Amino acid sequence: MVETIIGWLLAAWGIYLFCGFVFGVLFVWKGVGNIDPDARNASIGFRLIILPGVAVFWPIFIRRWRSQVSTPPSEKTAHKWSAS
Amino acid sequence: MGHTYRTVTWNRQKRIYDLVLWSGIVGYLIVFMVVGGLTFPNVTIETLLLRSTSTCAFLLLHIILSIGPLTRLDTRFLPLLYNRRHMGVSMFGVALVHATLAFIQFHALGDLNPFVSVFVSGTAGDILSSIPFQAFGALALLILFLMAATSHDFWLSQFSAPTWKRLHMLVYGAYLLLVGHVAFGYVQDATSPVPGVLLGIGAMWIVGIHLAAGFRELKYDRPVAPEDVSADGYVRVCSVDDIEENEAVTATISGERVAVFKHGNRFSAVSNVCQHQNGPLGEGRIIDGYITCPWHGYQYCPLTGKSPEPFTERIPTFDVRVEGNSVFVSDHPNQLGEEGQFESSSSDDSSSIP
Repeated sequence: MVETIIGWLLAAWGIYLFCGFVFGVLFVWKGVGNIDPDARNASIGFRLIILPGVAVFWPIFIRRWRSQVSTPPSEKTAHKWSAS
Repeated sequence: MGHTYRTVTWNRQKRIYDLVLWSGIVGYLIVFMVVGGLTFPNVTIETLLLRSTSTCAFLLLHIILSIGPLTRLDTRFLPLLYNRRHMGVSMFGVALVHATLAFIQFHALGDLNPFVSVFVSGTAGDILSSIPFQAFGALALLILFLMAATSHDFWLSQFSAPTWKRLHMLVYGAYLLLVGHVAFGYVQDATSPVPGVLLGIGAMWIVGIHLAAGFRELKYDRPVAPEDVSADGYVRVCSVDDIEENEAVTATISGERVAVFKHGNRFSAVSNVCQHQNGPLGEGRIIDGYITCPWHGYQYCPLTGKSPEPFTERIPTFDVRVEGNSVFVSDHPNQLGEEGQFESSSSDDSSSIP
């Protein structure tokens, strides 16, 4: 029983990563420059190095790409909250 | 940021850092294999490889976890912090070699799905020795993978530094899992007390230096005493003589530390939080006219809080006032990009510098 549950969980994780990898290849090729201006003219090496992370966090980048977010989120510290 | 990402932004310091790091890793593995092979001639090469890579990665993790607290306790350790992410990725690489070898040797050749086998295999017997310790190692490896995969500055930018740091705080979870991995694995194959003793010493060291650094930091985060706040919202931070030229003192104002720098004939105050990795700007210096973060060298103009072109980072500034021998800082930050005002009414300098 435990083996079956673990098998299903690992299969789900594998499918999730596979989807992320497929999306990630397209994203690092075409999409990353749209959501981060610093990535527009970045090298192939940069695109490859972020691919594993995109394959894990791909839902975030699908949302940003679809909503045409063109800049990274700005950090909010206590002082920035006070200043705004 | 404001500049095109590169795969790795190499410079002389990073090359030296990585050269020393990888010389150490390769040297450790060679020495371990040679000494291990000579001391235990019956041990197979696979076992030596497994043990050398596991101890190397675990030792590197101890070093990585020690760097942060050590830099809080003694700034001479700062060079270790400069390229810590490369050390983390290297550690993940060594751990991945260990995991791959273990996966092949202990799981790949059985009847059970080898990935499932990692999470369920243990030896029958009492409860301690039946715990599938390899599952702890696999979960730790997953965390280390997440950290290595998000180590590029792109991820700092996409997540923002606070979220990125929270993600990378999972390293402590990985450490606990690895302590379990080693401890339960050791229980299942205890032939010598040495691994257990070393594991305990390592854990006590990690806990000890974190507590020491934490206690040291507590005094800097104390809220300002009411008697140090003036009626018009200025906070007395220190005496003029407390700050060395081009250096800073910090005080907690408006919910976060403020760094007050002395440079030339004036004082400037900025938020203490570097926009890159939230490094402590107040522990840096003014170099070439810019506040320089001690962690990775990110720079900010002390007057405006802006990074020099082409970088686009900005941190809030605070107005500063010197009265007599006391330095006061406004308890409210200026708008981002707004220049911090400075006034002086001290006896030896009655000028007011807007």
